[in-house]
Amino acid sequence: MSAARKGFDAATLLTGVRRSDTLAISRAITAIENETSAGCELALAVADSRGGCRTIGVTGPPGAGKSSLINALMAELLPRFGRIGVLTVDPSSPVSGGAVLGDRVRMAAYSGNPNVFIRSLASRGHLGGVTRTTRSVIDLLAAGGMDLVIVETVGTGQSEVEVAGLTDLKLVVCAPGLGDEMQAIKAGVLEIADLLVVNKADLPDAERTMMHLKAMLGYRGHDERRAALKVSSMRGEGLTELAEAIAARLAQSVVTSTPERRMHPRLRLAEDVAALAAALVREGANPELDALAEAAATGALPRHDAVMAALRALAEREITVAPLR
Amino acid sequence: MQDPAARSRVLLTKSFIDSHDRAIATIALALRDAAMEVVLIDYEQPEDVVSVALQEDVDVIGVSFMSGGQVETTEKIVAELARQGVPDLPIVVGGIIRPFDVPPLEAVGVREIFRGGAPMADVVATFERLSREYRGLSQGAEA
Repeated sequence: MSAARKGFDAATLLTGVRRSDTLAISRAITAIENETSAGCELALAVADSRGGCRTIGVTGPPGAGKSSLINALMAELLPRFGRIGVLTVDPSSPVSGGAVLGDRVRMAAYSGNPNVFIRSLASRGHLGGVTRTTRSVIDLLAAGGMDLVIVETVGTGQSEVEVAGLTDLKLVVCAPGLGDEMQAIKAGVLEIADLLVVNKADLPDAERTMMHLKAMLGYRGHDERRAALKVSSMRGEGLTELAEAIAARLAQSVVTSTPERRMHPRLRLAEDVAALAAALVREGANPELDALAEAAATGALPRHDAVMAALRALAEREITVAPLR
Repeated sequence: MQDPAARSRVLLTKSFIDSHDRAIATIALALRDAAMEVVLIDYEQPEDVVSVALQEDVDVIGVSFMSGGQVETTEKIVAELARQGVPDLPIVVGGIIRPFDVPPLEAVGVREIFRGGAPMADVVATFERLSREYRGLSQGAEA
């Protein structure tokens, strides 16, 4: 198991994470992403450690300039928030399962900055614009001392709204010429936005796109949290105004919609149980589970019986090491 | 089912002033098609390569050289790996590697050198092997 390599067990990793050690944070993220039992234990240990860490979701269609905008905003955000974590999600190939993770090419200027931790995540078949474990990775970055975590979603389609449940503030980035008013009033990604950002304001259609978005906001009735802003990452225009709008909203308690409050507690418990149970069934040498799996595969044992027997085997066994504190 | 824990993560990089990205893109796609997760970055300083490798928890670093700096840059990266506590993280280099670059590159511990014309299957197999070795997985075994 990757998390266990070279003595990096879950407890050692957790200690390192709390000391803000880059390698420990990074290897803990790998364990969480791989959904190993060590990764599940780490995720549970940091699940309630968001503390004062604030979160921003950045979404929008491919090529809208999400990565470039985050890069351009960094100079404005770093003085306001001490340490910033960035998670950029790119799609995994549905054919091979591999991925090319290229978002951080646009953020190269911050590669060596000790106050910026950037991690590229592959979607690994999960839809919704983020990965299955993004919530836990955010928790881990918070436990590792980040004051702000920015999540950049996969740039696909109109309905990648899962990031809304994971982050305090939602930015939807549009490029000029997204379509007409009809596009702007459809359901989906635009309706989760706190801040609608028209990027590439140096292009001619920007003003018209702003008009459509503002009209949409008008139809929905006044909400002081929502606004449309125009920026140009390339020319550096509108960035200070955007950073101020972000900081103001994050400072208001009204935006503190933590995922715990959004998610039904039983659903959350079910997810945590499912993840840990799956990891424990999947990994390690276990003749009993091998026999059950084989019996179910050949039809010797009804699948229902095999599942129940596996669950009983897990419950009876002392689950992994001592729980992480 | 392949265990997700067995997925390889590799970093492919070149200097930001080097615009020859055809090789690196070709290799990135081949590795993607071999089920690896490939992080791309154009480094400004050689030391940045190590910062990125640590944050991304990659198993192999591949550096492409199409202009200069083959030996000097690689030496700086290797020194930074040692300074950051990951001297075992394997490095491979490729591109325009002149005959007189080879001895010093081997001397600093570069694990493989791919010059023009190397078969893609060999490139992919090398990344797979080094990745498994670094993660402590046995050859070809399911994690």
